[in-house]
Amino acid sequence: MRILLIEDDAEAAAYMAKGLKEAGHTVDHAADGTNGLFLATTERYDVMVVDRMLPGLDGLSIIQSIRADGNATPVLILSALGKVDDRVRGLRAGGDDYLVKPYAFAELMARIDALGRRSTAAQPETRLKVEDLEIDLLARTVTRAGRAIDLQPREFRLLEYLMRHAGQVVTRTMLLENVWEYHFDPQTNLIDVHISRLRQKVDKDFERPLIHTVRGAGYSLRAPR
Amino acid sequence: MRPGDLFRATTFRLALNYLGLFTVSAIALIGLVSWSTSLFIEWRLQATVEADASGLSERYRESGLRGLADLIEERIRQEGEGPSVYLLVSPDGARIAGNLYGWPARHPNAEGWVRFRIERIGDRTTTVIAHAFYLSGGYRLLVGRTMDDVERVKLAINRALGWGLALTILLGIVGGYFASRQMVQRVEAMSRTARRIVGGDMTSRMHLSGARDEFDQLAQSFNEMMDEIQRLVESLRTVTDNIAHDLRTPLNRLRSRIDLALIGKAEGEAADYRRTLEETLAEADNLLATFNALLAISQAESGSRLNSFEALDPARLAEDVVELYEPLAEQNGVRLTARFDDWPGADAPTIAGDRHMLFQALANLVDNAVKYAPAGSVVTVSVAAGDRDGHAPGRVEIVVADNGPGVPEGARDRVLERFVRLDSTRTTPGNGLGLSLVNAVARLHGADLILEDNQPGLRVRLRFPPPTADLPSDEA
Repeated sequence: MRILLIEDDAEAAAYMAKGLKEAGHTVDHAADGTNGLFLATTERYDVMVVDRMLPGLDGLSIIQSIRADGNATPVLILSALGKVDDRVRGLRAGGDDYLVKPYAFAELMARIDALGRRSTAAQPETRLKVEDLEIDLLARTVTRAGRAIDLQPREFRLLEYLMRHAGQVVTRTMLLENVWEYHFDPQTNLIDVHISRLRQKVDKDFERPLIHTVRGAGYSLRAPR
Repeated sequence: MRPGDLFRATTFRLALNYLGLFTVSAIALIGLVSWSTSLFIEWRLQATVEADASGLSERYRESGLRGLADLIEERIRQEGEGPSVYLLVSPDGARIAGNLYGWPARHPNAEGWVRFRIERIGDRTTTVIAHAFYLSGGYRLLVGRTMDDVERVKLAINRALGWGLALTILLGIVGGYFASRQMVQRVEAMSRTARRIVGGDMTSRMHLSGARDEFDQLAQSFNEMMDEIQRLVESLRTVTDNIAHDLRTPLNRLRSRIDLALIGKAEGEAADYRRTLEETLAEADNLLATFNALLAISQAESGSRLNSFEALDPARLAEDVVELYEPLAEQNGVRLTARFDDWPGADAPTIAGDRHMLFQALANLVDNAVKYAPAGSVVTVSVAAGDRDGHAPGRVEIVVADNGPGVPEGARDRVLERFVRLDSTRTTPGNGLGLSLVNAVARLHGADLILEDNQPGLRVRLRFPPPTADLPSDEA
């Protein structure tokens, strides 16, 4: 993917650019708001990563002005401001996701991947399929190898989110935010327990596991390698 | 105290102003009294003159001009150097009888009254008020009295009042000086105390005179403020100490882990390094989580109602938190259930709040309950209508109850403080911030946080204010 990184902290920018390049992305970096806006309006990117506090022009103004221009490129906002109000303001300005510093690199990668995917798959889907696992979003049914699997509503949403991001890494925080829709710090590995329950139903009786743990990052639903 | 300070003192200026005002009004009063007194005496003089004249006119009617002149001479003789003044002149102005040398130059007014000055023996001048009568044949009679009395009374009044005034001014200045010196001294004592506090002596307090006056009230408020500040500073110091202490432990672990990896094997295997790095990362994440929790607490404590407040369904929050923790509870052998009381009336109860923060608070409570309750116990999250005692209808309560080890009564306030962990819980993972955050979130929402004995176990009640009531925004 082609990624625009607008971040004034040189060290943080170098660290992100290195990691993103190693993951196979192309990265353009702007160290201030004015340059960032220039690149954002003149080039085409798959995802933009924008720091909120920038010299020249702040992150939210950049996002507002490209959105006013009709540019729908997904934007991930990075910020040291972690209050709920700040997050709401960031998303209202046109950001698609909000990540509070400090963050784990795996979290950043997973969110960029998720945003990049969002821009390619635009049309609504009614069925999702990975290997022999299939879910029907309208009938809200799950089958694997033709066998019906009975899921609780929340388990269904968890599986749906994993399927929509099949092949990508999704972090525990992403699951909490998107499946449970709460921003909070669980003190315990709650998500692990939920995933292990889901595995009991989706993977246990089958030869090839589909839900994989990615160490230090989260989970990924994909065909086994 | 320098003299300059005294003249700048508000009290002294105030005293001087009052003194000035008093002096002006006193002078005005003196003028009024002396004017009305002399008016009254003059009126009495005129009456005396009239009476005198009527006696003379009777004699004139009885025995003519001769008799009149005789009577006048007789009266003058009797009285000697008295206040009465008489003069009887012929048409050509020659004196026939009387103790006055000549007819006054001034003309009498329409009623016949005339006022003029005369010289008396011993160079004394005095004013005379007299009535002129015109007799037949061009003869004229003047009957009057000297106004010595009026002048004496006027003088006496003026002298008395003048002394009084001088005394007042003197007392005013002296009194103002002492009063303001006392004020200045008390204010100076206060500012000395304030400077001592600025200098670092936080225990310094203002002295109360015991008079219960405004100064005492001010000093009392100041002392109370200082007590509160001192309490806050101390609690802040405790928090800082605790933070330093509680963060030093994991940082030490972090450091020794890296240290060990470096000195353990000269040519360590890549896998060992990797494992060390992973452990180090996990440790760093724990530290960050602690910091995040601290930040969340101080955000909640910063006090003002957030823009993100909305009407929330407490039942939904309770359901969600139970749903989220239920697998974990099951894993620990704990039964976690949600219970909803019937709500009186048709409307479902709502609470005003931030859903993420409230969820975090509920999650912390449920997390604690599930973590500390032994296997086989029951944890209940319930939403109850109104007060348990029925005194406060319209209030919503979210209650998290367990039958685990509970919190001893004496420790219930303490566990709400940052980093406080009961000795019995030292071995379980945790940072001692969970209940502090619950407390901060509760306060942000104007809710009461009540820890109770569940016999056995702990029951935590979050009692929210009525949904329609606006939350106080100035309460920390």
